[in-house]
Amino acid sequence: MSERTETAVRGRRLATRARTRLSEQPLIWIAPLAVLLFITYVYPAVDVVRYSFTNATLLNPVYDYTGASYEAVTGNPDLPGILYVTLVFVVASVVLQLTLGLLVAMALNRGTKRRLPGVSAVRIVILASWIVPGVAAGIVWQLMFQEASYGFINGMLRQVGIDPVAWLSDPDIALWSAIVANVWRGTAFSMILLYAGLVVIPQSLYEAAEVDGANAIKQFWYITLPQLRPIMLINTILISIFTLNTFDLILPLTGGGPGRATEVLALYAYNTVFRNFDLSNGAVLAVLMLLISVVFTLFYIRLLPKET
Amino acid sequence: MSASRRAFTADVATYVAYLVICIFFAGPLLWLISLSVRTAAEVYVSDLRIWPDDPTLENYVSALTNPLFAAYLWNGLKLSVAGALGAMLFATPAAYALSRFRFRNRNMVMIGLLAFQMISPLVIMVPLYRYMDGIGLTDSHAGAIMIYIAIAAPLFTWMLKGFLDGIPRSLEDAAMVDGCTRFGAFVRVIVPLTLPGLTAAFVLNAILGWSQFIVPFILISKPNLLPIAVGIFNFQGTYSQTSTQMLAAASVLSIVPAIVVFLVLQRFIIGALMAGAVKG
Repeated sequence: MSERTETAVRGRRLATRARTRLSEQPLIWIAPLAVLLFITYVYPAVDVVRYSFTNATLLNPVYDYTGASYEAVTGNPDLPGILYVTLVFVVASVVLQLTLGLLVAMALNRGTKRRLPGVSAVRIVILASWIVPGVAAGIVWQLMFQEASYGFINGMLRQVGIDPVAWLSDPDIALWSAIVANVWRGTAFSMILLYAGLVVIPQSLYEAAEVDGANAIKQFWYITLPQLRPIMLINTILISIFTLNTFDLILPLTGGGPGRATEVLALYAYNTVFRNFDLSNGAVLAVLMLLISVVFTLFYIRLLPKET
Repeated sequence: MSASRRAFTADVATYVAYLVICIFFAGPLLWLISLSVRTAAEVYVSDLRIWPDDPTLENYVSALTNPLFAAYLWNGLKLSVAGALGAMLFATPAAYALSRFRFRNRNMVMIGLLAFQMISPLVIMVPLYRYMDGIGLTDSHAGAIMIYIAIAAPLFTWMLKGFLDGIPRSLEDAAMVDGCTRFGAFVRVIVPLTLPGLTAAFVLNAILGWSQFIVPFILISKPNLLPIAVGIFNFQGTYSQTSTQMLAAASVLSIVPAIVVFLVLQRFIIGALMAGAVKG
């Protein structure tokens, strides 16, 4: 009887010790997340590469291994146009978001320092545009750019006697309309990061510059910009990737049109797989997107502070 | 005197900048609202009316009483909340380990998590669609929620790790000296203290889930299972030219919940986001 109790106690103590030892293993804590991400990200990403070397379609489960899809994709006369549109979309969006984000952050920072009333209201307005779902943002700007009478911008132009502009149906303009919509939605993110960077610049730097007689422009050029450099670089990489992956904004805005004027890489990959059911060619495009992400991520890692 | 005058001029310039900023950022949303409270007749008037002469809430009433639209809203809520809750279950222990243990490759894990964020959901959806189709998880919320969880989990972990770093170790050490196991200390001491961080990460990820488009767009085709983001897109496709005012009202209804939740908790969320993103 007492022996049994003793065994039970010892058993319990052993179990506790085992649990204690287990709970000191970081792997135990990380394992659930690792398994989840392996199943949903790592394995599919590897599988995309595998599919890119097949002739699989979305509808037919049987396929053979071949390198033909790479030839088909690189030889496709549409590809250069798609890549060009993507490049313009990404570069213009990133440059404009950074510039605008910095201007807005500086205006907010100045207002906060001077304790001007209304600063937080302005910040809320900008953040609101960031929270708008991408699809809704696409619809919002579709209604702004509309050529019908309810399009706001053309309505304004008509008011001052200017002929309406085909914002969304002129192939030369549509891409820039998409860029404006994307900048509208994305600027707040840059603003948040750059504002965080501005706040931590030591005030003493500006005071010293003031004493030396440096004007506002010189202070901006020689203090603000260099101090913001690290965060600007990180910001650039993040928003480049976000913009490259943008899909939900363009679909309701232009659907990739007119023609292929706003068909960015992500949209093209989607159409290839899920409209044309061409899994293998779509996988090649997905591999391309993956490669671009990897390159940007490697840059990003180099920029991160070494010690966390 | 001249310095204060210069400051005053600069203040005026700052307000002019604010005005321009507000017009650019709020203008499109106000136009959306303006269109959403119009009758069909007033959408197509030829002169530009910032605000309709005869505003009506009819479009909202008909959107909200449409059973399909109500289902869109409900599905959007269900998927985003379930996705963020699920992400919390996976992220919390991982964030704890990343914050508390010193182990080899810890930095690699943190960076690996960032790398997941860089991968477009579209890339993984290509094969995932095939797997899900194979096991009958397309056209189901279960399959979609699993991917929502996976997409939210890395960001959730980063945000939470930043928050946990701010909680002194001595608290759980004390609990462990008193006989708690680490699991016990985690559940009884750390999780309650992390509630603000958990809330912020949960809310931000739920909002991102509410905006999630590509996953349900690819995975779900039954209209009554679609979340709001895909719902309004389909709505645009079907109604486009004939009832812009309805589309506008539906879009407002898709935006408002996200903005309201965000505004209520914005200081909270931005703080936690920066703890994760900038501080590294």
